[in-house]
Amino acid sequence: MTGARRTAQDVGEFRAEVREWCREHIPAGWREAQTGVGEEEFVAFQKAWFQELRRAGFAVPHWPAEWGGGMPVAEQIVLYQELAAHDAPRLVLAFVAIHHAAATLLAAGTDEQRRRHLPAILDGEIWVQGFSEPGAGSDLAALSTTARRQGDGYVVNGQKVWASGAAHADWCLLLARTDPDAPKRRGISYFLLDMGTPGIDVRPVRQATGESHFCEIFLDDVVIPRTGLVGRENEGWRVAQETLGAERGMTMLELAERLGNAGFRWLVETCARSGLSGAPPLEDPLVADRLAGFETELTALRALCRDLVERHDAGTSGPADASVVKLFYSELLQRMTAFGAEIAGPAAHAELRKPLSSGWESGAWALDFIGSWEWTIPGGTSEIQRTIIGERGLGLPRESRSG
Amino acid sequence: MNIDLSEEAAEYGRQAVRAFEAAGGDDLVRTAEREPGRRAALVGPVLDELGALDLDPRGDAAELEAAAALCRSAGYFAIPFPVAERLARPAGAGGLLVVDGARPAAAVAGLDPHWTAVTLDGRRCDAVARAPDDPPRTSAFVARLDLRPADGPAGDGDGDGARDLALGLVLPCWTLLGMLDRAIDLTREHVLLREQFGQALARFQSVRFQLTEAEVERSGAVSLAKYALWSVQSRRAEAVEDALALRLAAVEAADVVFRVAHQLHGAIGFCDEAFLSWLSRYSQPLRRLPLGPSGTRDRLTRRLGRRGLTGPFGTGRSDGARERAAG
Repeated sequence: MTGARRTAQDVGEFRAEVREWCREHIPAGWREAQTGVGEEEFVAFQKAWFQELRRAGFAVPHWPAEWGGGMPVAEQIVLYQELAAHDAPRLVLAFVAIHHAAATLLAAGTDEQRRRHLPAILDGEIWVQGFSEPGAGSDLAALSTTARRQGDGYVVNGQKVWASGAAHADWCLLLARTDPDAPKRRGISYFLLDMGTPGIDVRPVRQATGESHFCEIFLDDVVIPRTGLVGRENEGWRVAQETLGAERGMTMLELAERLGNAGFRWLVETCARSGLSGAPPLEDPLVADRLAGFETELTALRALCRDLVERHDAGTSGPADASVVKLFYSELLQRMTAFGAEIAGPAAHAELRKPLSSGWESGAWALDFIGSWEWTIPGGTSEIQRTIIGERGLGLPRESRSG
Repeated sequence: MNIDLSEEAAEYGRQAVRAFEAAGGDDLVRTAEREPGRRAALVGPVLDELGALDLDPRGDAAELEAAAALCRSAGYFAIPFPVAERLARPAGAGGLLVVDGARPAAAVAGLDPHWTAVTLDGRRCDAVARAPDDPPRTSAFVARLDLRPADGPAGDGDGDGARDLALGLVLPCWTLLGMLDRAIDLTREHVLLREQFGQALARFQSVRFQLTEAEVERSGAVSLAKYALWSVQSRRAEAVEDALALRLAAVEAADVVFRVAHQLHGAIGFCDEAFLSWLSRYSQPLRRLPLGPSGTRDRLTRRLGRRGLTGPFGTGRSDGARERAAG
């Protein structure tokens, strides 16, 4: 039942419909069931949940109608609010596929590339982003992986890092340098890489949380056919710039709703549990003050996200709006999870398993706090976001930087 | 009043750094995490070589300073051994742990389980460590303790117990300081070396400012550590309050320093390839036990009431004040 939705439908009616769907379809007790499971079970659960959402037309509501989406923005907002309010599992594994890969294919792909991959993504094709390198993090344009023209294709050599979920990926969005002599932002091309190609070695990186979903990808004489090129050769930087922020609006709204619903609820519950001295922390006015502060900030965050989405839809968003939202969300997430870890005390540090498929706040506060750094560092560090807000938002002069 | 460590103590600290380096340096904690049963065997010989356990921090002012310097050096490498807790031991005991009576725990897994403990209200107990539920990778060697009243005379909250408490709180803060020293050094090295946008991260003002703010926190904690050590050394009546004030400052400084260190290291700081990841992991017991920041603040506030800290320029407490504080 995908396709163009009834745009005139009353949003309240749609909300009731989603609520009913949530009550019927969100697997009861999924959090308990997904706590401490292995990788295989996690992947199977993610894929099954994706198909459940797809059947309802909820998996890719942001895609164009012809590819299976077409939900009006006002309804998408309601959808994500309700999924968060009902504590639905999050789409973790499909994230890059339905956002970055789809945005890239829709904006710059050929018809053939779209036909090949968009339906496949709906059928469960998993994608990973191969952008960062050991020498190219915040300064992504410094990347040094090369793609050399050879015959009717390219031969790729180099190393990618922090590729979340690479171990399960079928395809990779790859940036590589096709012209080593061009200035650094030119000379980069954008490729679709089949992860089954010989010469690819994926190694998990063990993280402080004990998980290893970050991976290193080593590329040794990997052949990509010419059909894997997205956009024109040496114009990959522009393609990446156009599509990198594709997920920012609605996915930030989803995350803000999750933080404001289940996340805040758990924080309050943690504070309501009896402390060591008997009285729950909630009875301490200092704790109540902090919670009130968080609730105020959450209200602001949710309003900010909604505003961003609506203005993006209307074509009136400013050049730094997405950065403001990312910065505010990531630092609020960090403050809230730090507070959760503080209230939960040493016991939280011994809690080593959190439900997979949950949001960034799961109630395992120490793990959540460590995980929150995945928001202040990747995808443009907080420092980079501040620079963007200063330069593009406030119109301050560019920070002097060589290179 | 001179709160600086003596030159002899500082030199002893430098010798300790060299000795820990020679014994494996950063590999000591890595090895101990893999083989927790070898903690004592890995670190013991270095401590023997330094004559660490011959130090008498309770009886000799100069040796108290040497003990503090040694703890700081141990923290620099996240030495997987409770050096401060061994040094703080009362006569006849193997070590001293300051514990929260409601939930006693300490980072002593894999060692002799018998310890002397003192609760935050100054009561001395015998403590026996339980076998830990989790490996050190996730427990950071923390084990639950079973307490029972000490065989000998129990502290009354203002005599031996108070001295135990002050010393037992202050020395581990010196270990934590060593960790902060290292976190700042590692971050400084990283931002000088790591280039993005054609220049070292250290050239970006936002990076420099964050690092300097961490450094300001660290150096504030250093000053308080010296002051609290002097307060213990001089047997000041308010030594326990000074020790709690130090602990609060050190734990708060640690929050800022590690926050900045991780942010500036970027993703690599969360991977065990970077020593910061080890340092930050093994700083947790020191920052959370016996109480975390809010619990420590609460203790300190209750103890001080409306009196406030005496501080370096105040006069010592009157007996009346002393009685009120003990109550």
